[in-house]
Amino acid sequence: MRAMSVLAANGREAAQSLRRSGLRTALGLIGVAIGVSSVIAMVSLGEIAKEQARKQFESLGTDIVVVRDNASGGGDQGGLDLPIALALSDTLPSVLQAAPRIQGYGSFLFAGRNVGQGSIQGVTEAFAVVNKLPVAEGRFVSNLDINRSYAVVGAEVAQKMRGPAQREVIGERVDINGTLFTVVGVLEPYVESYALPVSIEANRSVFIPITTAQRTSRDPRIEVIVALSAPGVHHETVAQDISNYLRARATKMQPDIVTAKGLIAQMEQQMGIFTLLLGGVGSISLVVGGIGVMNIMLVSVTERRGEIAIRRALGARQRDIRSQFLIESIILTSAGGLLGVVLGLAATYAISRFTGWDFLISWLSVASGLGTAAAVGLFFGFQPAYQASKLDPIAGLQGH
Amino acid sequence: MLKLKDVRRSYQLGPVTTEVLRGIEMDVRSGDLMSIMGPSGSGKTTLMNIIGLLDRPSSGSCILNDRNISGLNDNELSTLRNRYIGFVFQSFHLLPQLTALENVCLPLIYRGSGRPEMRDRARALLKHVGMAERANHRPSQLSGGQKQRVAIARALVGEPALLLADEPTGALDTDTAAEVMALLKELNAESGVTILIITHDAAVAEQCKKQMRIRDGKLIDTRNLAAPTLGNETEREKMPGASS
Ligand SMILES: Nc1ncnc2c1ncn2[C@@H]1O[C@H](COP(=O)(O)OP(=O)(O)OP(=O)(O)O)[C@@H](O)[C@H]1O
Ligand SMILES: [Mg+2]
Repeated sequence: MRAMSVLAANGREAAQSLRRSGLRTALGLIGVAIGVSSVIAMVSLGEIAKEQARKQFESLGTDIVVVRDNASGGGDQGGLDLPIALALSDTLPSVLQAAPRIQGYGSFLFAGRNVGQGSIQGVTEAFAVVNKLPVAEGRFVSNLDINRSYAVVGAEVAQKMRGPAQREVIGERVDINGTLFTVVGVLEPYVESYALPVSIEANRSVFIPITTAQRTSRDPRIEVIVALSAPGVHHETVAQDISNYLRARATKMQPDIVTAKGLIAQMEQQMGIFTLLLGGVGSISLVVGGIGVMNIMLVSVTERRGEIAIRRALGARQRDIRSQFLIESIILTSAGGLLGVVLGLAATYAISRFTGWDFLISWLSVASGLGTAAAVGLFFGFQPAYQASKLDPIAGLQGH
Repeated sequence: MLKLKDVRRSYQLGPVTTEVLRGIEMDVRSGDLMSIMGPSGSGKTTLMNIIGLLDRPSSGSCILNDRNISGLNDNELSTLRNRYIGFVFQSFHLLPQLTALENVCLPLIYRGSGRPEMRDRARALLKHVGMAERANHRPSQLSGGQKQRVAIARALVGEPALLLADEPTGALDTDTAAEVMALLKELNAESGVTILIITHDAAVAEQCKKQMRIRDGKLIDTRNLAAPTLGNETEREKMPGASS
């Protein structure tokens, strides 16, 4: 009852008292506001950058798993046989699709003209599904195209084949490294993503049946398997399943398995550290702001020795004086914190507009900014408040 | 109500110990209107701080309402101060940022009263000292006499057992001083408030029912002496520490 009455009165008077020492309060407020706003801006920017990176990954599918062979050599056929690679998705319930690739390089001739050079990718039907390659005309490589000399051309290659006359290309024959292939399909322009450890470069490539590539390619080894994990399966489970599968069946192989989710997790961890670091940098200015507040409160206590003595003479206990000054410093830093939140969010908004990133409000940073501001008031206000409570009332009464 | 027995208070300044109070004997009874005179430096304020529970005697006992205060801690002393003592100071000591009403409320805040009742009570006290219309004025908007009236209202708002006034008229001109003195006398006569006035001013002291002097660190009753004939100048020479 008594404590509440005193606290309420102290609260009522604190705001007045802060307003009275206007300039000084403003300076303390600004100090804290700068600290809080830099914490918020730093943490928010960290979060935004993280979100940005995550979106990049998600656009190409978080379910992608890339398998390579780390063992060099392994003979003509490499360490991995095609049937083993193809059976991956049927054998493992955690793997939805598996698309092995044999890759070569060459130049493409059409009607006596060079229509570019790029990668020759021996793939299966699943490759278009897994890598989201949309077909513009005709069809993609089919599983029925075994050993057939069919080719699906990328958008850029197709463009060059058509030439200014916009010729039809489906059904035409293109010379790839000296072998003639019939064009059965044309791909839509493809936007390459650099977030995954496999490059497609579909626009400048031609895709042929993997069985054909095994015969015609100079390096007929399976270079990579791009797989899709089943929904709801943890990325580490998929990686483990594939690893077990390959170790049992392809003993010469040293599988290197990278999952998109694993990459995201890794990236998020790194960004988390980055955010923490940024937050730390912001906190330094908050501490500086706190020291400013402490200074202000110490001056205020010295100036108000008389007032403190009078209150003590009228029956204030030491803890009443302490709470009076603590409340003042907490109100001061909380107000600074509020201002800092506004400033910090404004700065974040400006920066995200400038960089073209999506603006988002990190409520965690707002809450922790406000929380820390109040804590700074409590921490840096304690010493001045303690000093005030220990002042000798007799000296204070005579000091007028 | 208040009894001092052989109260001594000395100050240690480096190697020198000065004993300001040298065995004060005092008995204040409920309803008293008492004055303490003495030249500057004789220890009047020192004595008042002890009576007002702001200071502790070096030795001797101080008994307030049959309770020896020497064993009490700071919190307990604060509570007793709030409940039993009302202070009036020479320089008013009102808080400049608060209105007259808020100043008068202060002791009740530290007592834990509810806000509406404390404001009602403070208003009543302001009315009692003739300051009802100035309730929302700040001290800077009041004259010296008005400030002292507000200070008296503040001292009395908690119904203390004892009103301690240290030179209550010291900062006022003669007419205003007389008015304030009249108010104190009236409060004593009509409301039975026990009042202890510390003063330099013989004219003030003479109006009190009991009159004491501090001499050589001791309190002597001057009611029966031909006190007013003793001038301040002659007495100052005799006082310890006054000339040093
Ligand atoms: N804190 C202190 N330390 C040392 N000496 C002190 C202290 N306070 C008071 N004194 C000394 O005690 C003596 C009495 O002081 P006190 O203030 O009680 O006098 P007073 O009678 O109230 O004088 P005045 O009429 O001028 O107010 C003085 O000599 C003073 O110097
Ligand atoms: Mg004095």
